[in-house]
Formats: sequence, C-alpha cells, structure tokens
Amino acid sequence: MKKKSTFILLTTVMAMSALTACSGNNEGANGNVGQPSGGNRSAETKTLRFATWDTGDALKIEQDIAKKFEAAHPGTKVQVEAYADGFDQKMAAGFGATNPPDVMYMWDFPTYHRSLEPLNSYADGDQELNKDDFYSGLFNYATIDGNLYGIPAGFTTRVVYYNKKLFDAANVPYPKDGWTWDDFRNAAKKLTDPSKKQYGFGVRAENDTYDLQGFVWSNGGSYISADGKTIDGFMNSKETADAIQLFGDMLKDGSAVLTGGKGQQSGEDIFKGGKIAMWESGIWPLESFKQAGIDVGTVEMPAFQGKPVKGVVAESALSIAKDSKQKELAWEFIKYYVSNEAIKMRVADLPVRVSVVNELKKDQDPLYKPYYTMLERSDNTPAFLLNAKWNEINRQLSAAVEAVVHGSKAQDALNQAVKDSERYLK
Amino acid sequence: MAQTYRQTAGNNAASFTLGRRRRWGGAVPYLFIFPWIFGFLVFTLGPLLFSLVISFFDWPIVGQVHFIGLGNYASMFTDDPLFWKSFGVTLKFAALFVPLNIVVALGLAILLNQGTRGSAIFRTAFYLPSVISGVALAMIWSWVYSGDYGILNYFLSIIGVQGPDWLNDTKWSLVAMVVASLWGQGSMMLVFLAGLKGIPKDLYESASIDGAGAIRQFFSVTIPMLSPTILFNLITSIIAAFQQLTLALLLTGGGPMKATYFYAMYMYENAFKYYKMGYSAANAWFMFLIVLALTFLVFKSSEAWVFYEGEMKRKPQKKSKSGGKVKSA
Repeated sequence: MKKKSTFILLTTVMAMSALTACSGNNEGANGNVGQPSGGNRSAETKTLRFATWDTGDALKIEQDIAKKFEAAHPGTKVQVEAYADGFDQKMAAGFGATNPPDVMYMWDFPTYHRSLEPLNSYADGDQELNKDDFYSGLFNYATIDGNLYGIPAGFTTRVVYYNKKLFDAANVPYPKDGWTWDDFRNAAKKLTDPSKKQYGFGVRAENDTYDLQGFVWSNGGSYISADGKTIDGFMNSKETADAIQLFGDMLKDGSAVLTGGKGQQSGEDIFKGGKIAMWESGIWPLESFKQAGIDVGTVEMPAFQGKPVKGVVAESALSIAKDSKQKELAWEFIKYYVSNEAIKMRVADLPVRVSVVNELKKDQDPLYKPYYTMLERSDNTPAFLLNAKWNEINRQLSAAVEAVVHGSKAQDALNQAVKDSERYLK
Repeated sequence: MAQTYRQTAGNNAASFTLGRRRRWGGAVPYLFIFPWIFGFLVFTLGPLLFSLVISFFDWPIVGQVHFIGLGNYASMFTDDPLFWKSFGVTLKFAALFVPLNIVVALGLAILLNQGTRGSAIFRTAFYLPSVISGVALAMIWSWVYSGDYGILNYFLSIIGVQGPDWLNDTKWSLVAMVVASLWGQGSMMLVFLAGLKGIPKDLYESASIDGAGAIRQFFSVTIPMLSPTILFNLITSIIAAFQQLTLALLLTGGGPMKATYFYAMYMYENAFKYYKMGYSAANAWFMFLIVLALTFLVFKSSEAWVFYEGEMKRKPQKKSKSGGKVKSA
C-alpha cells in the first residue's frame, strides 16, 4: 500500500515536472511575443524543488507546509519531491547531473557537503531565524570544517519504550530514569514467556551502527578515536565489545527475540502486538504505538554500572544545493520550515526550538521528557563526522554487529572488522 | 525481392543514375535496421565500452574523478575481503544451481513428453513462474519461507519437523535461494521439450528391438541426442547463476551474515550504495571475464560430450585414437 502510494506520487511528480517544463517553455515563447496576459499567473511562477525522504503522514504535513509557504509567497510554487527509500540514489544522481532539488532534507553531510551551499552567511545574524533559539549542539551535526551546511529541522534521541500492561501482568515495577542494564535484563527475563511467544526485549536483525553508538558511549567505548584516525583499540575495545555483546547475550538467554529480519515482523509491529515488553527506538513509532492502543511508557536508556548514560542524536536538517539557481527563495523556505508555526505542524518531529518546547510544555510531558533528558546526554561526536571514509569502515562494522546478533562473539567479530577496515585508514 | 525493390526505387526517383540508385539501394536495409543498430550502439555497446573506461578511474558520483589506471583491479584482488567473499558465494550458488537447474528442467520436460492427458495444462503451469516478474516471485517466496508464518514450515510441522527460519539462517538461506531460483526454469524446460520432440522415434524403436530398457534408452539415445540442447542450457544457466541479483536483493538483502551476498549484489552495492562507479565497473568486467572463461571451457569440453547428428564421421576417429592409447598403454 505504501509502495503503491509512493508509485502514484512519483508518477504525479514526474507528470508535474513534465508540465512545469512545458510552462517554462511557454514563458520563453510568451516573453518573445510580448506581455503575458494578466490572468496567466503561471508565466511568473517560480518553482522551488524540495526533496524529502518522508512518506505517509509526515509527507502530508510537509505538503501542507509547502502550501502555506506558497500562500505567503504569491508566485511561488513548492514542488515536494518525495523520494522515500530511493532518497540517497536520487540525491546522488541529482548532484551528479548538476540538477539537484533546490532544498532537500539532509543528514549525511560528510558525503554531500561539497555539493551543498554553506549557510553561515545566511544564518548568522538573521533575526528571523534566531539561531540561539535552537537546541545548542544541533548545529554541530551539520557543520564540517567550520562551514554550516544545514539548518536543523527535526531530531530525535533514543529511549526505551515499555508496555505498561505487560509490566503489570508480570508484576514488574515500571522502569525509572537512572536504571541500569542489570535492572533492564532482570526485567526482560521476568517479562519473557516463551509459551505465549512473549519476550522482554526485541533486538533488530539489521542494526544501524549509528544507533548503537549510544550504548557504546555509555559503556565508555567508541568506534573511532576522537581525531578520527584510529579504530584499533576503539572499535574493538573491551567497552565497545561488551556493549554490543549485551544484545547477543540477551538473544542467547532467550529474554530477547530477533526482529525485523527478512520475512520477519518488525520490532515495532511485535511491540504493537503486545508480544515484546520493551523496545528501543527514537520518536518515530510513538504515535503508532498510541494508535495501536498500547499503554506505552518511555524511559531514558539504562546505565552501565557506575558509568554515565550517553545518547545519540538522529538529526535531519534542510540544505540548499550549491547548483540551485534560487538560493534566496530556498533560504526563505527553510526559514519558514523551521519557524514556530511550521514546527508545530510537524508533530512527528521533536521541536528543534527551545521556545516551542517551552510553549507546548513538551519537556514536562512524562512521555516526551526522556527524549530531552537523552538530548542533554548526547554530547559525543558520532563516528561518521570524524572520518571521511566512515562509509567503508561502517560496512565492516555492520557485518560484525550482524555476526553478533547471529551468535558470534562480539570481541572476535570486532577484531575482524578492525582488521578488514585498516586499509581505509592508510 | 531485390528485383521488386529496384523497380519501386526507380519509379520513385527516376532521375537517379544507375550507380546512385545502386548505392542508395544498398543503404536501405541498413535504414530499416537502423533503429535497432542505434539502440544497440547507444544503449548497449556505448555503455559497455564506457564502463571499461570508467573501470580505470576513481569515479564517485559526487566529487572529483581521477584516473588511477589498474588501481581498482589491484585493490579488488589484494585488499577487499568482500570481493572474495561474494565471489565465493556466487561460485557456491552456481555449483548448486546449475546442475540442479538442468536436472529439474530436463526431468519436467521428460515428464511432459510422455504425452499424458492434460500435458498442455502442466506445461503452462510449469512455465507460468517464468512469466511472473522477479519482484512478485520474491514476494511469493518470502511468504513461503517465512519462519513463523511460512507455508513451507507449516507443511514441515505437519510431518513433525521444526523448519528453520529459512531466510535468516546462515546455513539455509543459500539453499533457499537455489530452490527459489529453480522455480523460474520454465523457458529452459521448453527448450528441452523441443529438443526431446526432435529426437526421431525410430532410434527408440531400434533400441528397444536391441533389447534396451527405458534407462538404457535414456542414457544411450536421449542424452546423446539432446546434448546440444544441454550445452546451450548449461551455458545460459551458468550466466544466469552469475547474474543472480533480484532474488538476493529482495529476499535476503545479501544476508544473513553475507551468506547470500552474491557477486552481482556486491557490484550493485558498490555502484548504487557506495557510489564507487569505477570500482563497480571493474567488478563487472571481472565477472564478464570469468563468465567468458567458463563459457569457453564449456565449449572446449563440449567436443568430448556433445554429439551433433552431422558429425557422424568424427566418432570413429575418436575411437581409433583412444584405441591407439589403449594399445600403447
């Protein structure tokens, strides 16, 4: 169904771009002949292309924002291009053909920053943007070599979701901030009931190593040295290995189930079905958990004994393509997109502005509070910002993590990953 | 044909001299196949040669292009474990898939050739999977193989066997891929069937008069008479095995733990996930050379086992040769 709507959307976008191309030609033709007729507004319409990876409800919200922007800027048309799963490929192809969208969602700045417009001169001193109102630290993720390439549009930290009903049924007290991994594992064991195919926790079959960094940092490890030059002794350190081994161990002792493999249900779906009691993720599934009628609670990540909890931020930002021909208009759009008005419309994202959070009292809401506590705990730099070849190294690291959830020893798998990655660090 | 054509051309352009008319006439056939030639040059030969060129470059989609000579090929062989890993997976897959594919297709063709009632229906049914697009096929198999809800494990549970989670089990996922790939053997079966129909009945008759049973007839008449067809199917099977991508991409994504990480998938990811166009082109050319070499070997070996009706004379020659060997030994 999702695929189908994406297909319809893509077809529409294609048809639309074909049509705009036509009107563009008309403009030229009319211009030669003389003044366009007064009623023909399309001749003056400027089209701004905006690329997003979102689908479904989030996409609908973005289209609404685009419409509001059009209403406030007569003569402007915002063409929302929803690339969904094909986002990276479309981006690469667009940049490669020097025909990228004007404005786009972006997170992988190390890969794309050479094709993006530095925004420092736009952002600094722009009263409307009011940079100081953003959560500090969010800009770091979009900054490379001192150049700012994106304006934070949304972010999420990762928390533990828990199903209150299952906790009640098993007579386990709800987890509280400040809990440890020992608490977590004990709870998971009590919440597991193989006869009902019910498990304490779900481990993803395919993990994004980025998301695991919070665990690794919490145990005092990291994937790569702070200068981004060494992985030996970091990626395969005891701290890193132990943090990842945790998932392997929970799968082995049966208190966690492997989810989201090929032909398997996703962890979110199983959680919605009330068959796993705890699930670890960002803000994304919260709304769907509520809609599924799950009495869901959130709590910050557990701590490793005696060590501070660390979090990882997943951030999305808006960028302008270097090859864009209407950067001023693009900047206006970005500013509107991160304005209080638009932020309030985007309910699937956590607000990036302090003023909006205060106004909506989001950080008072017990369901939302853990995301902000975790944000305060997210001050480590993710590995992909530290090494330009992280993509390659990550390929090996992902293989190692996959091996661990399939039963290998984390230390061995990570040693191998370090060995296989060394050539990218030369 | 040519006569008619010259007349029409003459009628249409009476002012042409004879020489010009001839030259013009020579070009017309090319004009007719021009669309195909154009398509071939622009969409096949052009990209083919271009891929050879970019295989000597460090060619990211975003960023600077550098000439690095044989650098891509060197790093492929010397320090990319994934290259060898994926190549090994593909070899393993080919070793399982190619023989099975031929046996299954031949077996089905022989069954269909028995002329039982409703064989047309069976023929359609067996061919049907080849008509289904690879994506739909992958969807069907992902349901069949699903560990918890799959129909395969349901049937196994009826006979008391707890089936594995096929696509997520490192031991079984490659086997699962082989079986799923076998499902699309329809066209190969049809080629075999056509070959079987082409075997003269009198050969079987004389064989049975000589006292040959069904099995003896199969090995002494069917197989030799079918050997050119087997050769053709063997080569197309090998090529298909090396190109297997769709199923891996959609069913397993190369996992679990790279157990189904086919070479084609490795190539695909290098190009479209990591945007290393030059490196991926080098991968592709290596695969091309391997397939070329294998095809060449199969052709070479075919002299020994493929039997063409027109080559009756060569058989006695060979016999005398081997006879000579026996003597000298």
